[in-house]
Amino acid sequence: MRRVITVLLLAVPVAAAVLGPLIADLFATQGGLPYGVDGPLGTDNLGRDVLAQLLKGGATSLGVAAGAVLLSYLVGGLIGLTAASARSRTVDDALIRPLDVLLPLPSLLVVSVVAIGGGASLVKVGLAVAVINLPTVARLVRAAALSAASGPVVEALRMQGESWWRIQLGFIGRSVLASVTADIGTRLTLAIFLVASANFLGLGLSPTSADWAVSIARNRDGLLLQPWAALAPAAMLVACTLGLNLLADGLLARARRLEVR
Amino acid sequence: MSERMSMDRRGFLGLTAVSALALAGCGGGHEQPRNGGRLRALFAGGGAKETLDPHAANLFIDQARHKAIFDKLTELGSDLAPVPRLAESWEVGEGATVWRIRLRDAVFHNGKKLSSEDVLYSFARILDPNSAEFTGKSNLSTLDLPNCRAIDPRTVELRLNRPNADLPTNLAALGVVIVPDGFKDPAQPVGTGPFKFGSFTAGRTFTATRFDQHWEGAPRIDELHILSADADARGNALRSGQAEYAHEVNPTFARTVAADKSAQIIVTPGCTTQAFALKTDRPPFDNPDVVLAFKLIADRQRLVDVVLAGKGQVGNDLYGKGYRYYPQDLPQRSRDPEQARSLLRKAGALNTPLTLYTSSASAGFVEAATLFAQQCGEAGVKVDVQTGPSETFWKDQLVKGEIGSHRSGAMPIPEFLNIRMLTNSPYNISAWRHADFDADFAAAQSTVDEAERAALYQKLQRRVYDKAGLLVWGHPDWLNAATPKLHGIESAPPNTLNWARFDKAWLS
Amino acid sequence: MTKYVLRRLALAVGQLVALSIVVFSLTAMLPGDAAEVRQSEHMTPEQVAALRNQLGLDRPLWTRFLEWAGAVLHGDLGQSLSSGLPVNQIIGESIGCTAVLAGVTVLLVAPLSTVLGIASAVGENGRLDRVITAVTLGLAAIPDFVLALVFVAVFALQLGWSPATWVGVTDLCTPELLALPVAVLLCRSLSLLTRQVRAGTVTVLHAGYVVQARRLGLPRRTVLLRHVLPNAAVPAVQDLARLGDNLLGGVLLVEAIFAIPGVATALITAVQQRDVPTVQGLTMVLAAFALLIHLLADLICDRLVPRTELLR
Repeated sequence: MRRVITVLLLAVPVAAAVLGPLIADLFATQGGLPYGVDGPLGTDNLGRDVLAQLLKGGATSLGVAAGAVLLSYLVGGLIGLTAASARSRTVDDALIRPLDVLLPLPSLLVVSVVAIGGGASLVKVGLAVAVINLPTVARLVRAAALSAASGPVVEALRMQGESWWRIQLGFIGRSVLASVTADIGTRLTLAIFLVASANFLGLGLSPTSADWAVSIARNRDGLLLQPWAALAPAAMLVACTLGLNLLADGLLARARRLEVR
Repeated sequence: MSERMSMDRRGFLGLTAVSALALAGCGGGHEQPRNGGRLRALFAGGGAKETLDPHAANLFIDQARHKAIFDKLTELGSDLAPVPRLAESWEVGEGATVWRIRLRDAVFHNGKKLSSEDVLYSFARILDPNSAEFTGKSNLSTLDLPNCRAIDPRTVELRLNRPNADLPTNLAALGVVIVPDGFKDPAQPVGTGPFKFGSFTAGRTFTATRFDQHWEGAPRIDELHILSADADARGNALRSGQAEYAHEVNPTFARTVAADKSAQIIVTPGCTTQAFALKTDRPPFDNPDVVLAFKLIADRQRLVDVVLAGKGQVGNDLYGKGYRYYPQDLPQRSRDPEQARSLLRKAGALNTPLTLYTSSASAGFVEAATLFAQQCGEAGVKVDVQTGPSETFWKDQLVKGEIGSHRSGAMPIPEFLNIRMLTNSPYNISAWRHADFDADFAAAQSTVDEAERAALYQKLQRRVYDKAGLLVWGHPDWLNAATPKLHGIESAPPNTLNWARFDKAWLS
Repeated sequence: MTKYVLRRLALAVGQLVALSIVVFSLTAMLPGDAAEVRQSEHMTPEQVAALRNQLGLDRPLWTRFLEWAGAVLHGDLGQSLSSGLPVNQIIGESIGCTAVLAGVTVLLVAPLSTVLGIASAVGENGRLDRVITAVTLGLAAIPDFVLALVFVAVFALQLGWSPATWVGVTDLCTPELLALPVAVLLCRSLSLLTRQVRAGTVTVLHAGYVVQARRLGLPRRTVLLRHVLPNAAVPAVQDLARLGDNLLGGVLLVEAIFAIPGVATALITAVQQRDVPTVQGLTMVLAAFALLIHLLADLICDRLVPRTELLR
C-alpha cells in the first residue's frame, strides 16, 4: 500500500517533468485573458493555459535539482574516495579542508548571490546547488569508504592478494553505494527546495517561465481569483517531495535491516 | 509679462475626476471631513537607498516623504502644467532669460519666515558640483547662479544663461525643493511643508506630525507614517488593516478587492507609459522603414489586455497622452502584419534575428517583452528576449540589444524630450540623435509666446511619432488603494501636485 | 579540552579569512558596481564617474580588500556603498528581527522534537508513532514558501487572526506578530528534527547495551534517561546545529513574504546594490555564528557521551 502511494506520488510529477514538455502544446489554448476560466485548470496571470504551463514547468523544477545532486555525487564521490584511500593525512586534509570553507554559509544565500549576478541562468543555479552539496557528499563518501576500508573484510581481501582496483570498486564502492542510496532521497528533496526557493524569490529563472516555483510566485496574487494557477504547481512540488521522503524512509529502513543482519 | 497657468484638464483626464468620485462614493458616503488620527501610507521601498535629503530624491517613497516636509516653488497640475506653490506669481522678461519670482508668506517648521535667501541657497546646494547625485541639476542647468539675486525678502530674480520659457515647469521638477538657508543636516529636515519631521529609518519607516502654521492651512490628520513595503506586502498589509493607503497596486489586487470590497481603488487612467525602444543608431533600425514595420507588428490591444490585465489604454507611439503639448489629432496606429512584412522584405530585414533586452526592473517588462517577441514571431521576425540583471538595467539597456523595454512616469512633455530624445540626453533610450531636432527643441524652449511654443513642441512630437524608435504600446492606469475609511485622496498622475498628498486626507 | 576549543577557534578564524576572500572576489566579479546601481536617469556619465571616484571604486581590487581587512581587525566593518551608513549599524539594525525569529523557533523546536521523537520511538509502530510519523512526513514535504503563502492567505487575510506583514512594526516581540512566521519556520524544522530524534532513539533502543541493560532488570525509566537519551541526543544535537542552515534559508523566505527587515533581506539587497562592504560584513557575521554553533554542538555532544577523540 505504502509502496503504491510512493510510486504514485513520484510518478505523476516525474512523468509531467519528463513527458510534459512533449505534449504540453496539445493542451495549450491561445489568447486567453489573465486568471480566466478557459481550459481544465483555467489560465494564469498572462492568460496562458495552466495545464499546459504545468506540463512545461517540471523539467526545470526537477531537472536542475536532479542534475545538481548527480554532479555533486560524481565530484564529491571522487574527492571522498580519493581522500579515503589516500595513505597520507596531508593529502586527505588538502582534499577535504578547502570544502569546509563553504560549510558555514547558508545555502539559499549562496544560490541567491550566484543567481543575482548572472541574471537568469539555470546552469548557474544548478552549479551553485551542486557546490553547496559538495562538502557534505565528500565527507559522507569518505566516511563510508573509510569504515569499509578499515574493516576486516578489506583486510582479508588484501591478504588474499586481490588487486587495489577490485577492492576499491568491488567492495568499498558497494558499501559506499549503500550509504549514498540511503542519503539520496533527503538530498534530492533539499535540492528541489533550494532550487524552488531561489526561483520563488525571483533569483533564478525569468518571471514568465513555466517553472513550478516561478508559477507559484507569479500567480500568488491571483490566489483568490483563480487558485489553480498557484495551487496546481504547488501540489506537483509537494507530491514529488512527499514521494521522495517516503522513498527515503523506505530505503533507510532497508539499509538498517541489512545492517542488523 | 506674466504667464497664465492653464489649469483646465482636457481629454481623458476629465475621466479621472469622474471615476475617482464614483469610487470615493463607495467608501462611506457624504460624511463631513473630520480631524485627527494617524494615516499609514505604504510605498515601494528602496532599502538603504532611501534618503531624507530632499535634493537627492529619486524614488517615489523619497518624494512622498519630502512632499510631506517640504514645498517647491511650483508643482505640476494634472495636465502637467505648472501650478504656483511657494512662488505666488512670476514675471518673465528679456526674451525668457530673466524671471522675477514673488514668494508666498510661508514659515519653516522652526518658526523662521521663508525668504529669498532660502531660495538662492537651495539652488546653490542643488547645483553644487560635489554632490553628484542631486536630481534637480539638469532641470536647473539654464540657471546663471552667480547673477541671481534677492530683490527684497520676498522677491527673487533668476537670470538664465539661455532663454528658457519652461522655467516654471523646471521648478516643479524632482528634487527642486526649497530648504532653509544654511540647511546642512538632512537627518534633521526642516521645511515649509504640511508635516513636521518625526523619525526616519531608511527602508522601513518615516513619521511626521501635523504642522499647524502651514501656509495652505493645517492638515486634517495628526500623524503621517510613510512605510516601505514591496508590492505583495502592500496589498497584504492594507487588507489586514496595517495601513490605510497603498501606493501602486497591481491590476490583480484591484480585481481581488473589487470582489470583496475590502479596499477602494483610486484610479488615474492611463497616466504612465509602457514602450519598446527601437535603437535607431544601429541596424536594422537605422532604416526608418524597419522602425515603422515594427510599430505595425505590435498588437497593442493584446498587450494591454494581458500585461496590464486590461487596466490601461492603447498607446500611439508617443509619450504624454493627454498632457500639455500633446498633438490630439494623430491617427491611432494599429496592427498591420501584411504591410509590416512587405516593408521588412523590402529592407531585407526578415531573416536577421534581433535581441530584445529586458529585466524585471519594472513590473510587466518581461511579460510584455515575451508577448511582443511572440507577436514578432507570428509576423515572421525572430526576436530573442534576453533578461538581464535588474539592478543595472537602466544603464545596460542603453548599449545592449536592438530593442529595449522602456517605461516612463508622468513628466511634462518638454522634460521628456529633454532627457530622452536629444543628442546629449543621458537617457536617450532609442538612440535618437539629430542635430536639427536638438535645434528645434532649443527654439521651442526659448519661445515665450504660449501658442507659438505649443505649435513648436507639437511639431517635434509629430516627428517622434513618424520616425523615432519609440514604440509606445500602452498607458497603464495608475492604481492606488485605500481602506474604505480614508477620504480626500484625489487621483493624480505621479509627480504632480495631488499625487501622494496627505494634507487634505481625513479618516472617518 | 581548552586546547581543543582553542584549536577549533583558530580553525574557525582561518575559515573566516578564506571565506572573506571568496565572498569578496565573488561580489566584485558581479557585473556592474555600486556607482552604476546608484545611477539615476538624471545623471550624466561624468557624474557617475565622479560618484565612482567618491566611493573609491576606481582603485584596484586588492587595495580595497586589504583596507577592508585592516579595518576589520579594528572592529570596523566599513561603510555601506549604497547609503554611506556604517556596516556595523546596518548589521545591528537587521539582526534583531532575524535573531528573534530564529531564537524563538529553536527554543520551541529543541524540546518539542525531543519529546515527540522519543515518544514516537518508544512506542515504535504504535498508534502515536504512526500519527507523528505521518504528520512530520507530510509537513517536511511542503516548501516553506507554499506554507507561508497559505498561512498568510488563511490566517491573516481571511480569518484576521494575526497581521499579514511586519510593515511599520516597532515592537518585535508581540506574540501575534511572531505567530505566523515562527509557525512556518517551526513546521519544517520540527518535522525534520523529530524524524531524526526518532530514528536515533530507535537505533539506540535496539543497540546491544540497552537490550543488555533491560535484560539486567534496570527500571525502564533509568534505562531511558541514563542510557537511551544521552546517546540518542548526540545525533539530534548535531542535526540541530545543521538545522541552522535550513533555518536561515527558511528565514530568508519568511522575511521576504512577511516583509521582515532582517539579515537575509539586508544581504540580498546588499548584493543587488553591489554593496561589497555590507555583503562582507553580513556574511562574516552569519558564518561566525554558524561556526560557533557547530563548535557548541560538538562540545555538548562530548559532555553527553565522552569520547577519546572529538569529531575532527
